[in-house]
Amino acid sequence: MDNFRKIDIDQFDEDVLLETELYEPYPLDPAQALDDAKQKAAAVRSSLSKGDIPGALGTILEGVPYGPNVEDAKTLTLQTLVTILNSTKSSDVSNIVKALSQDQQDTLMKYIYKGMGMPGWGDVSGSVLLGWHEKLTEAAGIGCIVRTLTDRRTV
Amino acid sequence: MSNTLRPYLAAVRSTLTAALTLENFSSQVVERHNKPEVEVRGSKEVLLNPLTISRNENERVLIEPSVNSIRLSIKIKQSDEIERIICHKFARFMMQRAESFIVLRRKPVPGYDISFLITNVHTETMLKHKMVDFIIHFMEEVDKEISEMKLSVNARARVVAESYLTAFNS
Amino acid sequence: MILLEPHNVIIQTTLSEKLVRPSALEVQFVDYDDVRFRLSTPERKTVVLLSMNIRCWGDLVKHGALDILKREYGSLVKDTAEPEFDVSLEIDLDQVPSDPEARESFVKSVSLLKRNALAAPFERAFQTQKELEASGSGQGELMQIHYRDEEAIYVQASADRVTVIFSTIFKEETDRILGKVFLQEFVDARRLPTIQNAPQVLYSSRDPPLEIRHVPGLRDTDDIGYVTFVLFPRHFANKPLAEGAISHIQLFRDYLHYHIKCSKAYMHSRMRHRVSEFQKVLNRAKTEVATGERKTVSGRTLVSR
Repeated sequence: MDNFRKIDIDQFDEDVLLETELYEPYPLDPAQALDDAKQKAAAVRSSLSKGDIPGALGTILEGVPYGPNVEDAKTLTLQTLVTILNSTKSSDVSNIVKALSQDQQDTLMKYIYKGMGMPGWGDVSGSVLLGWHEKLTEAAGIGCIVRTLTDRRTV
Repeated sequence: MSNTLRPYLAAVRSTLTAALTLENFSSQVVERHNKPEVEVRGSKEVLLNPLTISRNENERVLIEPSVNSIRLSIKIKQSDEIERIICHKFARFMMQRAESFIVLRRKPVPGYDISFLITNVHTETMLKHKMVDFIIHFMEEVDKEISEMKLSVNARARVVAESYLTAFNS
Repeated sequence: MILLEPHNVIIQTTLSEKLVRPSALEVQFVDYDDVRFRLSTPERKTVVLLSMNIRCWGDLVKHGALDILKREYGSLVKDTAEPEFDVSLEIDLDQVPSDPEARESFVKSVSLLKRNALAAPFERAFQTQKELEASGSGQGELMQIHYRDEEAIYVQASADRVTVIFSTIFKEETDRILGKVFLQEFVDARRLPTIQNAPQVLYSSRDPPLEIRHVPGLRDTDDIGYVTFVLFPRHFANKPLAEGAISHIQLFRDYLHYHIKCSKAYMHSRMRHRVSEFQKVLNRAKTEVATGERKTVSGRTLVSR
């Protein structure tokens, strides 16, 4: 009887809202997601070697992994993205973000926040991310940040 | 230094502006309750993704938004022991006066030095852009204040030591 | 006021006052390091009894405090002290010299009672150093003065110097860190050309210096700090120099802690100012509430009930 007041009775409620009901599940399973991320990373590397930054960004920002269980793929995607961000000249940033589609801008914004959320991790540098954040906010507006706040499909 | 401070503050400003879209929202768990959802954490559909803005490992801002309230926590730069105690004292001093700083939280979120809790009541009675200005102003000034205090303590220590030791010569 | 004064201001002012206008008296007051004083006139209005209670009296007597007090105050020192006190001086106001200058210096010397009592171990150390220097080698006795509950002064003479070690407790972390900043400056300040002749200062926290490491019962915690002053013969070469050095070094602990507290007070007033500035900025965000009189169409004032 000790913990009878501590039982979370809400979990037995039929109407209870589950995490999975808030958004569409990610279609791929973890292994597939990781493969996909690896393929993209390779594609990005080849684009980068040609100096094609918009192409590289376009590749990585399409069909990004989201939701639980795909942490590996997410980390790899972030890593790849950070490489792109780091290798871009700061004078080009403005034009590149303007050329992205709205969905791509939103996804990029999510990754910028994710990168800043893990300081001291890998070669994430605060100043590079802050620079991109500023340019992206200029191009896409506050709405882009609001969509990052509200989108349940966390990257 | 100041070249990363500006985009840092700009990022905090735009994120805060984006997050300050609050409305009155009664609890859907407990009847006749109307509490800041970000603190109650009762129903997950009204909590939004928390965002971090970081300048480096020691300076970052965490913004946790929800439908009727946001929580903003600041980690202030502390490069050595003396800055740490000054920062601690300063934050404590402010938090003891939290009722006059209506948006200030009495206790910081773990891992941060000072937290603000802004609810829909505050956004209804205060101008949003001025509130954002206040937070930014606070972040700018607090760094300056801490380094000035540190300098003044050092200067005092020097004068004290010199005048004590000089007295042995007379 | 940067430096602290070695004499007690209450004794000085009360005594000068009573010399002009004798009257019944009964005052109890304290000085640094929990020293208690009592000024009273138990028998006649013209005979003032000054008693002092000092924590380390036992230590001081051992190192010749009574001799020094007898030298300074002569027959004023009573053979038996007032109960609850360690030493008493009986001052007959009629016997005090009437010449203003002599009178002032007499009052001053009485107000230096605590300083003179504490001077004993230092004078002895200076003396020992001279003897050791003549004989060429050896070390004097390590004199311990437990002037506060957990803090002590250690004085030791050697052939070429006198070492004075203070142990001091920083009660809270803020004090400890500020104390460290201050003590570091003491160590660094000697680099200045003007004070290169000052005594050498060494500072260590937690670990006691070599000289006193064998002393039993030392605390081994983070909040304790040890400050070592090395006085060379040039610091006490002649009488005025030695007197000055003694008065000065006694007050080191009080001086340090006084300035730590001052720094905290300064920081506090600064924060108060800064916080009120923040308050103003926040108040700018508040929307103006319309407070003007509200009137109905017919011109009557609307009053809320």
